[in-house]
Amino acid sequence: MRRVALALFGTVTGLVMLLSFKTHSSTAGVPVATAPVVPGTGTTGSSSSDTSTGAAASTGSAASTGSARAPSSSASATPASTTKTVTGDAVDTRFGPVQVQITVTNGTITAVNAIDYPQNDPRDQQINSYAIPQLNSEALAAKNATIDMVSGATYTSEGYLGSLQSALDKAGL
Amino acid sequence: MTATLSVGPPPTAFRRPPAAPSTGAHPNAVLGAIAVGALACVALWWHDTAPISGFGDWLTNAGRITGLLAGYGVVVLVALMARLPPLERGIGADRLARWHAHGGRYTVSLVVAHGLLITWGYAVTAHTGIVSQAGTLLTSYPDVLMATVAGLLLVGVGAVSAQAARRRMRYETWYYLHFYTYLAVALAFSHQFATGADFMTDRPARLAWSAMYAAVAAALLWYRCLVPVRQALRHRLRVVAVVPEGPGVVSVVIGGRHLHELRAEAGQFFRWRFATRELWWAANPYSLSAAPRGDLLRITAKGFGQHSAALARLRPGTRVFAEGPYGALTAGRRTRRKVLLIAGGIGITPLRALFETLPAAPGELTLLYRAGRDTDVVFSDELAAIAEQRGARLHLVTGHRSRLGYDPVSAPALVANLPDLPHYDVYVCGPEPMTRAVTSALRAARVPRRQIHSESFEF
Repeated sequence: MRRVALALFGTVTGLVMLLSFKTHSSTAGVPVATAPVVPGTGTTGSSSSDTSTGAAASTGSAASTGSARAPSSSASATPASTTKTVTGDAVDTRFGPVQVQITVTNGTITAVNAIDYPQNDPRDQQINSYAIPQLNSEALAAKNATIDMVSGATYTSEGYLGSLQSALDKAGL
Repeated sequence: MTATLSVGPPPTAFRRPPAAPSTGAHPNAVLGAIAVGALACVALWWHDTAPISGFGDWLTNAGRITGLLAGYGVVVLVALMARLPPLERGIGADRLARWHAHGGRYTVSLVVAHGLLITWGYAVTAHTGIVSQAGTLLTSYPDVLMATVAGLLLVGVGAVSAQAARRRMRYETWYYLHFYTYLAVALAFSHQFATGADFMTDRPARLAWSAMYAAVAAALLWYRCLVPVRQALRHRLRVVAVVPEGPGVVSVVIGGRHLHELRAEAGQFFRWRFATRELWWAANPYSLSAAPRGDLLRITAKGFGQHSAALARLRPGTRVFAEGPYGALTAGRRTRRKVLLIAGGIGITPLRALFETLPAAPGELTLLYRAGRDTDVVFSDELAAIAEQRGARLHLVTGHRSRLGYDPVSAPALVANLPDLPHYDVYVCGPEPMTRAVTSALRAARVPRRQIHSESFEF
C-alpha cells in the first residue's frame, strides 16, 4: 500500500513539475525548448512572419519583429476613401498554413479574416472553429498584431499573428 | 530410489573459480536503463511541446506524458518476460515476474489516467462537455476506438491478475487470459502515431518508437519461440522414467542428446513443455533435482495445480521441449569456503542438486531442510547418502514453529547452530514468504548481502 501511495505521489509530482516548467518558460518570454514550428523559409517572402523563435504569449514579440523590419513599399500614399484588400503571406505551422486577409479603408482596418488555416483532421477543425473567430475579432478590435494568442491554439495563433503582421506590413500600416 | 542418476565421487576442494561464468545484467543497471528510457520519453514530450497555458493545456499535456510513458511501459513489461538471457541470469525469473507484476499495475494505471486526462483536456480546450468529447474522440479520431478497446482489455487483464481473482481461477485460465495483453498492444499501437501529438509530425520519433517495439517483438519471438524449437531439434529430449518420490511428489527423468551443450548447472531450472494433450500449452519451470549427467536430467515436482499433478501421468517416450537453463542459484555465486543451504518445502529440489555437487571439504557444507510435515520430506535417503559420502551435515526439521517451540530459521537458531554464520555463503530456496523471512533473519545475523543467494518459487 505504501508503494502504491509513493508511486501515485511521485507520478503526480513529476507531472506537475514538468507542466509548470513548460508554463513558466512562456511567461518568462524565453523559449526554453519549443517545437521547431515555423520554418518560415518557403512561404514567407517578408521576414516579418518569422515567429520561429517560438514567440511566447502574445505581446509584442511578433509585432515588434515585424515592425522592426517593416519594409513597406507599397502605396502608402493612397488617395482618400479607398478600400483595398491585402493578403498577408501564408505562414506555415506544423499542422498547416495560416493566411490572413485584411481590408483597409482610409488607412484603418475594417475587416480581418483568416482565409486559410488547418482543417485537415477533426482536432484542427474543432480547435480552429473557436480560435479563428476569436483571433479575427481581436485583431479587428486592436487594429494591429498586438493581440493575445488563443489558449489551446498555440500553433494557429502563431501562424495567424505572423500572417497578420505580414498583411499589415504590405498595407503600410 | 536414486534411479539412474547415481552420485559420483564428490568434489572436495573449493578453489575460487578463476573467472565466474557470466552472471548476466545487474538488477540496478537494468532498473537504471528502464529509468533512462522513461526520461527519454519525457524529453520527447518536452522537445515537441510549445509553452502551454490554461487548464485545458495542462490536462492535455498530462495526458500526453502519461500516454507516452504507458506506451513505453508495455514495451518494458514485454521485454521483462521475453526470456532474455542477461535478464534471466542476472535478475532471475522470480524477480523478473515480480517486477512485471508491479510494473504492470503501474502501466495499466497510466493507461487509464491517459485516457481520462486527454478526454477531459480536449473537452476543456474545446469548451464542450466531457461525455460529448469522449464521443467525438471515439467516433471521429482515427484509431482511438481501437485504442479504447485495448485500454479496456488491459484493465480487464489487470483485474484478472489480481491476487483475489487468481485464487479463484485455474492457472491455465489466467495464463490464457493474460495473452490478451498482446492483442491490446497491437490494437493500441496505431493510435499513437495517428493522434499522438508527439508523433504525428515527428518522423524520427516515429522511427525510433517503431524500432523499439520491433526490437522487443523480435527478441520475444527469438527467445520464447525459436530458441526452444532449435533446442528441441538438437537435443531431442524425451521422458525416460517417471518416479514417485512420496505423496504428491514425482520425479521425471528426461534423456536426450548432446545435453552438455545446454551447459546446465546444479541449482538451475528449465521451463518444460511436455507434448501431451493436457500439458502442451504451457512451459512451466521445474528445477533440476540432481546434477545434470551426460545424457540425463531429472526434475522433481510437487503436486500443486493441475500441471504438476499431470506430470505423474507422463509416459516414457513423451517428447519434451526445454527452454533454458535459467536460474542464478549456482556454484558460480560462491564467495566463501563454507556453505549453508536452506530449503523450504519443495525448495529442496535445486538445493538437492547443489548438495551433491558444490565443491566442499568435509564439514564445510550444511543443509538445513525445513518441511511442514514428515510426509512432505523428499529425497531423505538420497540426502542422507550424500551427507555421509561427503561428510556434509544434514539438518531435517519438520513441524510447525508453534509445535517445535522455536523457529529453526530465525537468526538466533541459525547462529546457535553455526556460530560463524557470517562467514558462510547461504543459498536459500523455497516459497516466497519463506525466502523473504529467511533472508531477513540472515541479515539480522550479520551475513553480508553478497553472500546470500536466494530464489523463490511461486511465479
